[in-house]
Amino acid sequence: MSSRDTVRNATGDHGLSEKGLKAGSVGLIGAVVIGISCIAPAYTLTAALGPTVSEVGVHLPAIFLVGFIPMLLVALGYRELNNAMPDAGTSFTWASRAFGPWLGWMGGWGLIAATIIVLSNLAAVAVDFFYLMLAQIFSNPGLADLTRILPLNIATTLVFIAGACWISYRGMETTKSFQYILVAFQLLVLGWFAIAAFAHVANGTAFDATTISADWFNPFAVESFSQFAAGVSLSIFIFWGWDVTLTMNEETKNPKKTPGRAATVTIVVIVLIYMTVSLATLSFAGIGTTGLGAGNPENQNSIFAVLAGPVMGPFAILMSLAILSSSAASLQSTFVSPARTLLSMGHYQALPKSFGKISPTYKSPGYATIVAAIAAAAFYIVTRTLSENALWDTITALGMMICFYYGITALACVWYFRAEAFHGAKNFVFKFLAPLVGGVILLVMFFKTAYDSMDPAYGSGSNIGGLGLVFILGCGVLLLGVVLMFIMYKRSPEFFKGQVLSRASQPYNP
Amino acid sequence: MRYVVGYTANGRGGDAVNLAVALARRQGAALDLVMVMPEDSPYNGVYPPAAGFENILAQQVGQWLEEGLALIPSDVVATAHVVRGESEASALIEAAKDLHASALIIGASSTGLFKRFTVGSVASALLHASAVPVVLAPAGYSRTEPITRLTCAVGSREGAEQVLMVGLTTARRRGLPLRLVSLVALGNDDGGTTVEDASKHLHGLVDASAALDAGLLEKLDIEVVVGSGRTIEDAVDGLHWKKGEILIIGSSRLAQGKSIFLGSTANRILRALPVPMIVVPRDYAGTADDLLQTSQVPVVDAAGPSSVAPTSEVKEAGK
Repeated sequence: MSSRDTVRNATGDHGLSEKGLKAGSVGLIGAVVIGISCIAPAYTLTAALGPTVSEVGVHLPAIFLVGFIPMLLVALGYRELNNAMPDAGTSFTWASRAFGPWLGWMGGWGLIAATIIVLSNLAAVAVDFFYLMLAQIFSNPGLADLTRILPLNIATTLVFIAGACWISYRGMETTKSFQYILVAFQLLVLGWFAIAAFAHVANGTAFDATTISADWFNPFAVESFSQFAAGVSLSIFIFWGWDVTLTMNEETKNPKKTPGRAATVTIVVIVLIYMTVSLATLSFAGIGTTGLGAGNPENQNSIFAVLAGPVMGPFAILMSLAILSSSAASLQSTFVSPARTLLSMGHYQALPKSFGKISPTYKSPGYATIVAAIAAAAFYIVTRTLSENALWDTITALGMMICFYYGITALACVWYFRAEAFHGAKNFVFKFLAPLVGGVILLVMFFKTAYDSMDPAYGSGSNIGGLGLVFILGCGVLLLGVVLMFIMYKRSPEFFKGQVLSRASQPYNP
Repeated sequence: MRYVVGYTANGRGGDAVNLAVALARRQGAALDLVMVMPEDSPYNGVYPPAAGFENILAQQVGQWLEEGLALIPSDVVATAHVVRGESEASALIEAAKDLHASALIIGASSTGLFKRFTVGSVASALLHASAVPVVLAPAGYSRTEPITRLTCAVGSREGAEQVLMVGLTTARRRGLPLRLVSLVALGNDDGGTTVEDASKHLHGLVDASAALDAGLLEKLDIEVVVGSGRTIEDAVDGLHWKKGEILIIGSSRLAQGKSIFLGSTANRILRALPVPMIVVPRDYAGTADDLLQTSQVPVVDAAGPSSVAPTSEVKEAGK
C-alpha cells in the first residue's frame, strides 16, 4: 500500500495528506490552454464586441487594451488572497475575513450573481449558434430564425442549462485533450475570420471598408467618461477568466515559474487575437448603423452570428461550431464556481444548511448546483421576456457585477494584508498598491455604470417605467442580495455576529 | 483476510456494509471501508477558482466514514480509508490492490425503480476491470447474518470450469450447501441448447472436473438446477432463492487476463437477481489461495445431484 494515496488514521481522522488537484501535472502550454479556455475568446468576442462598439465606436481596440489594466491589478491581489486563504467561498470568505460578515456576504453574492448571469448568457449564446448551425447544416436559413421564437428559445436554453447542470452535478470532468482541441479550434477559427475579413477589405468586397487609424488605439479619444466607463466594464468581462492562470499552484510542473509565465503567454495570445479580430471586424464592417455595420443595434447581440456568413462564406459553420462548443464547455465548467461559493456560504451558515449538502454519490455540491441552475434559468426567463435585446443587456449587467465583486475582493486584499503592506517593495506592490488602484478603478466603473444605466436608453434601450433595464437587472440583483441577507440574519444570526467566520488580518511576520 | 467495501453515504453504501458484515462473519475477515475523494482535473477550467472545496469535502467524507463505521457491529474488525482517484472505480481497484483485499464489496445503484440490480456507473466500471472478485449487494440488502447457501451459475462456454472450481472450493471451505445452476433462455435460439442439454452439461462438468477429486464431491451438498424461461431474467426469477444465498458467476471470455468483464448474460442475470452476487475474475481460481484457504471442516450432507423439471410454460415454449 502506498501511504501517499491511501491514508489510514485513528478514529475521527481519515485526513488527506495532499490537495485534490494532481500535483505537477500542468506544464506551460497546459496552463495557457486552461487560461484561454476560461476566457473562451470566441464566445466572449461574439457577446461583447457589439455592445462595446455601441459605446466606444472605433476606439474598441483602445478600450480592450485599457480594460486589461484593472483586471491585472485586481488579479494580483486575488492571487495573494488565494495563496493565503484557499477557500471555496473565495470573495465571500475573503471579504468576510477582511471586512466582516455583511460586506463579505455581499461580496459572495456579487460573485454568485456574476456567474449566474454569465451562465444564462452562455446558454443563450449556445442556443443561438445551435440554431444557426442547424441552418448552416441543412442550408435552410429559416432554422436560424427559430431562436427568435420566444417560447422555443426559452425552452431550448433551459434544456442547455439543465444539461450542463446535470453534467456538473455528476462531477464529470473535462479532459486534457478535449480542452486542447477546443482551444486550438477556437483560435484557428478566429484567425480564419480575421484573415478572411482582411482579404475582403483588400479585394474591395468588404461591406464598409474602413481604414485602420492610430486614433483607434487612443483611449482618450472616447467621447465621454460614461462611454469610457461602460466600455471598460465590458472589457473586464472579455478578460474575465485570464487570472485563473495566476491562481494555479501545486498542479503546475513548476509552481514558481509556470503560473507567471502562463499568465504572460495567455495575455499575449488573447490580446493578439482580440486586436486582430476587432480590427478585422471594424475594417470589414465599419461602425455604420445599417446593414452589416458593427454599429447596427441588430448586430450587436451576437456579432459573429451576423458577420461570419458574409466574411467566411460556407466556412461560417466552423465559427458556429467553435462558439457553440466553447460556450457549451464554459457553461458546464462555470456551474462549478457558484455552486462551490453557495456551498461554502451554506457551510459557514451564511445561507441555509441545505446549501452545504454534498451529494453522497457524486461528491459534488448537489443542492447548490441545482439552485444555481434554477437561478440561471429564472434570470434568463426574466431578461428574455423583459428585454428587446437580452444578450446585450445581460452582458452589460454582467460587466457591472464583475466590477462590483472584483472591487470588493481587491479592497479586501488591501485591508487583509494591511500589516504587511509597507514591509518591502514586493508586499507594497502586490498586496497594497495594485489591488488598491485596481479595486478603486473597478468600483468607480461600477458606480458610474450603475448611475448611467438608469437612463432608459442605456444598453439595448429596454426599460421599465422609464428606468433602464440594465440598472434594474444589475442593481435589482444586488438589492435582492441585500433582502436575502437580512432574511438570513433573522433566521440564523450567528454568521452575521461574526461567530462563524471571524474577522482577521494577516499579521506581519517576517 | 480482508475485504474492501466501497462505501457511499447512502442506502447503497449501507447495503454494501451489511453484505460485507455477512461475508466477514463466517470468514473472520477484516473490513476496509473505503471512500474515494474525486481528483479535480485542472483542465476542467473551473472559473472563478474555488480552491477550498477540498477541505469541506474532506470533512464531509470523514464524517461519512464515521457513520459508515458505526454501521458495523463490534464483532467485525473494520478500518476506514480515504483514497483519491480520477474515477471512483479505478481508485477502489487500486485500494483493493494496495490493501491486498480478497474481494471488493459494493452496493448496486439504488436509483433503479423496478429491478433490484440496476448497476450504476461505478459498479459497471468495476465489473469491467477489477482484478479481485467483485461482490454486489442488491438494493435494500439488510441481512448481516452469515451466508447460508452458494449458487454457482455455470454456462456452457469456456471458463465454466473455473467458476465451478471456485464454487466447489468455497462451499467446502465455508461448509455451505452448493447449488449449480444453468440458465437457459428458450426464447432465443442459442445454438439449439435445450433444457436437457444444459442439464447433461452440468452433470458432465461436475463429473469431469479434473481439479477436484470425486471424494470431495461426495462430501458436499450439491444440487444441480436448470432455470429456464423465455428470457434469462425470467429464468432467474423462476429459480427459488434463499434469503442467505449468494450467487457466484464468472467473467466473460472478453476479460483481459485475470480481470473481470461482465458478459451480457451475466448482466441480464444481474438485473433480475434478488440476492448478492460475486463476480470472479478470469483465471482467478488458479491464483486464489487467499479466497480458497480453508480452516473449517466442511459440513457433510450427502445428497446426489438432482434436477428440476422444466415448468409447463417452458415446455410449451420449447416444443
